[in-house]
Amino acid sequence: MDHIASLLLGLGAGGVYAALALALVITYRASGVVNFATGAMALYTAYTYAGLRKGELLVPIPGLPKTVDLGQELGFWPAVAVSMLVAALLGALLYVLVFRPLRDAPPLAKAVASLGVLVVIQGVLAIRQGTVAVSVAPIFPAERWELGSVIILSDRFWLAVTVVVLALVLAAGYRYTRFGLLTRATAESQTGAYVSGVSPDRIALVNWMISAMVAGIAGILIAPVSPLTPVTYTLFVVPALAAAVVGRFQYLLPIVAAGLAIGMLQSEALSLVSDVSWMPQTGSAELVPLIVILVALVAVGGGIPARGGLIRQKLGRAPRPRSLLGPAVVGAVVGAAALVLTDGTWRSAVIGTFIAAVIGLSLVVVTGYAGQVSLAQLALAGTAAYSLSTLTEDWGVPFPLAPLLAALVSTVIGVAVGLPALRTRGLTLGIVTLALAYAIEAVWFRNSEIVPSSGARVTPPSMFGIDLGIGAGAEFPRIEFGLVCLVTLVLVALGVAILRRSTLGSAMLAVRANERSAAAAGVNVVRVKVVSFALASFIAGLGGSLLAYRRGVVSFDSFTAIGGLALLSTAYLAGITSVWGGINAGILASSGITFIALDRWVDLGEWFQVISGVLLIVTLITNPEGIAAMGHEIADRWARGRAGGRPADAGAERPPVAAVEPAAVAPATGTALRIDHLTVRYGGVVAVSDVSLRVERGTIVGLIGPNGAGKTSVIDAVTGFAPATGTVELAGRRINGLAPHARVRAGLARTFQSLELYDDLSVEENVSVAARGRRHADRRAGVARALAGVGIGALRDRPAGELSQGERQLVSIARACVADPDVLLLDEPAAGLDSDESALLGDRLRAICASGTTLLLVDHDVNLVLNVCDHVYVLDFGVVIAEGPPDTIRADRAVAAAYLGTMHDAEAVTA
Amino acid sequence: MSARLECRGLTGGRGSTVVFRDLDLEVQGGTVLALLGPNGAGKSTLLSTLAGLLPARAGEARVDGVALRSGNPVAASRAGVVLVPDNRSLFTTLTVEENLDVARSRRGPAPRELLDVFPALEKRWRLHAGALSGGEQQMLAMARALVQQPKVLLIDEMSMGLAPLVVETLFATVRRIASDHGAAIVLVEQHVRLALDVADEAAVLNRGSIVLRGAATDLRNDAKRLERAYLGELEVAR
Repeated sequence: MDHIASLLLGLGAGGVYAALALALVITYRASGVVNFATGAMALYTAYTYAGLRKGELLVPIPGLPKTVDLGQELGFWPAVAVSMLVAALLGALLYVLVFRPLRDAPPLAKAVASLGVLVVIQGVLAIRQGTVAVSVAPIFPAERWELGSVIILSDRFWLAVTVVVLALVLAAGYRYTRFGLLTRATAESQTGAYVSGVSPDRIALVNWMISAMVAGIAGILIAPVSPLTPVTYTLFVVPALAAAVVGRFQYLLPIVAAGLAIGMLQSEALSLVSDVSWMPQTGSAELVPLIVILVALVAVGGGIPARGGLIRQKLGRAPRPRSLLGPAVVGAVVGAAALVLTDGTWRSAVIGTFIAAVIGLSLVVVTGYAGQVSLAQLALAGTAAYSLSTLTEDWGVPFPLAPLLAALVSTVIGVAVGLPALRTRGLTLGIVTLALAYAIEAVWFRNSEIVPSSGARVTPPSMFGIDLGIGAGAEFPRIEFGLVCLVTLVLVALGVAILRRSTLGSAMLAVRANERSAAAAGVNVVRVKVVSFALASFIAGLGGSLLAYRRGVVSFDSFTAIGGLALLSTAYLAGITSVWGGINAGILASSGITFIALDRWVDLGEWFQVISGVLLIVTLITNPEGIAAMGHEIADRWARGRAGGRPADAGAERPPVAAVEPAAVAPATGTALRIDHLTVRYGGVVAVSDVSLRVERGTIVGLIGPNGAGKTSVIDAVTGFAPATGTVELAGRRINGLAPHARVRAGLARTFQSLELYDDLSVEENVSVAARGRRHADRRAGVARALAGVGIGALRDRPAGELSQGERQLVSIARACVADPDVLLLDEPAAGLDSDESALLGDRLRAICASGTTLLLVDHDVNLVLNVCDHVYVLDFGVVIAEGPPDTIRADRAVAAAYLGTMHDAEAVTA
Repeated sequence: MSARLECRGLTGGRGSTVVFRDLDLEVQGGTVLALLGPNGAGKSTLLSTLAGLLPARAGEARVDGVALRSGNPVAASRAGVVLVPDNRSLFTTLTVEENLDVARSRRGPAPRELLDVFPALEKRWRLHAGALSGGEQQMLAMARALVQQPKVLLIDEMSMGLAPLVVETLFATVRRIASDHGAAIVLVEQHVRLALDVADEAAVLNRGSIVLRGAATDLRNDAKRLERAYLGELEVAR
């Protein structure tokens, strides 16, 4: 019975999570922003309300008085009305000033901007209102209702009821009003809204106002129960995000249920601590959101449904480092000089810069390269810091073994953190990792059973009798420790640069760009994700160990979940996709030299945090891909200028096709690919119906048909990208049921209609993603052969994004050829080519076939197919309507009719 | 008489690449222009630019003599330019009625009035658009455009993935829309024969420029010129 009581006690917090989750979903659906500042917005309205009840109106603008005296204390309803007005204004302001300018920015940029908003609101309120808790008069009667043995607090009950009613009103509003209809429509397709004459901007604006009011209601409701302080309210967003994930950022009523459930489970978890001995003494409540998210991901699967935008969104270029040794030496010299030339606070800031840069580089690996949004990197650094304490103080493990072991601990935990990434991606993953960081902080770092309240001591490092510690008193900070940090940073930076140039690095970028095409290139996507989390955690662990040595005593405030959010913001802004960006992140970090410089020279005092938040937002609006993107452009221009103005004309010289000597391959016979009774269904639509094809070894077989005939569906089904029934045999071996990358390794390659090249990677790297072979030299030779085979050897070093459509087609074919597949499926390789290019392509396809690869060619260019192929199948409405040698097909009237759709004057056409 | 839709020196593209340049084009009210050309010629990009979904690089487009604001889909819609995109961009989770409701204006026709033009939608009225067949979806996309009473109707690849019979019905409807509503219609189409049957005029776009332009009847009877303009794309016809 106690359980029911404690569950019911959680109704209050649960109601607030539910309301905040509603606010989160409204802004996400309307504008694609996962608004981490939702809790902060609730806080602002709550302060406004509290002020109004005391007869004061809050004024946030610096320079003006903190409040305006209204002359009388407002009653409940007038205060609520004015607060709602203020909230709506805040929502409108945020949309117009921050999120409307970012509407076409990558989702991560929008989320980072909302972190900026969080910092600004929290900072302004901390300055203007102070951090002393403000208590507010109760709204609901506080009574104890006893139902049998169960006690219910009436105020919690009414709070929950209010939120449920609010949710019902919102759900009905979005269901039955015209505005609701327009909101649902724009959330599904922005293009659809535009061509329907609806402005998605205006809809988004109103939704931001509604969302701010809903968040405000949450703030007002909880104010009497939980006294107002800036930090607690801001963190309400974590359980609210968990509730929103449960409802897939879409369904309002499940979201409310999830929010209430989280609040109740937290309350129950707190009460269990006293009864059940194995429950952790602290942090059990913080574990609840994480567990709820993980259960929801396993049960419902998927992530946040993508919103239909106009522009394809990306993370930013990840340029390949031009050289390694030069920058490493220059960086080391500059770093050493900075250590020698400074002392005291400044040297300490230089050391702080090095350490933050190491942790920033861990984000470059996991998020910048592999595209997995991780908000847990700082928490992972923390796990290493605490492990280091145990390793050095309790077990006496010496330097440098201890920090390496500590980093390994982070690696193990990091791989566990990365496991949800196998089921989800993008910002959902970010939310999961945030919940994890939040849980680790509470369960481990703040746990007084494990960590003494004075913090965890770390033995200073020393090697060969030399003291490498940071020292104390007048000695602090010692240059030796700075050198340890610098060496670590240089080694990590070199490692990350080498990673970017390696096959693994290319595979990571391939996964980031497009998991489908990465799998088609034979990349094991699961393995790459796990490895990138492992590497990044190891690096974060090294950074955490250094931070522990620097502090001497580890305490939780270095590794909070909020700090993790700030770290991602800084790293994103600094340029998350390159080594330079990672180091930049160190310079910009709050422990780095920029912070000290600003503090010393400009003396922003208490406004520093607010101004840095504003700067973050302004920089994002002007550079949605971070400031390093600007640097990359300058570097590119410089490199191009140095190359003597050699412009993009390398593709103009087309080497003669005859240059490719058909390798003397014995004319093998037999069926290379055999497809029987293949059927593909999407929902209720049968895209491919009982199709059987034979592709004989050493031939080129064509598959043609009008748009929508099911050609691409056949390729998708054969290569494992679409679920299908029927059998697929590759050289007599059944391969249906294998994962896509496993089919590639069995000798079946494909290209995509949309090419799916990795625009950030050079042509050579694009192709080498798919190259296999144990030795680097083997892979390079294979890549060179594949490029020469399609005649684009000269384009080797150009980024794929710069090439013409025809050249891109050839890169995509070279990528598919590099592993010497037995059978290659080509999906529309002539799309976007002119007739000359198309004829040239035909010659190259013959050469590829002559060198031992059997081809299945799908194309709209019927002329090309009929000229190149030995045998042709014609597909219409998912069924084979004709097959035979090209001449037969050319004469087949049904084919012409299917193609031109001209049944009434087919004579005129075929004549 | 001044043209309903008029382009002067219009240049546009996607991202950093220019796809079509320096196009001059005019379409009278009540007539259909078939815009033909091989894959990648720039037809869809041109329509998206006219609809304001992509910004123009140079030149301008006018509707009834009033210049359109470049890259502003809301302004284009207010000026009466309506696009039926090739992927249709329907709201698949909304019902047929709701799809039309989103697009309708206070002064315009009620959604049900569109059933006169597309009677086949009647029995699908309360179904989600995602549950419709391809042909029905295309009808809905056209109905959603018509409910906005377009002055200029841009139709991209109407026949894509549809059965020939459905395509024929749709083309007949396009003809009717032109004569009944007085809209200037630009039709981007791969089915050359059908497009020429329904159009008054035709223009062939190849590699970003108009390479051939004339009355639809003339082009229909002069397959040679058309083929040359397409550079062999029509060779299947032989």
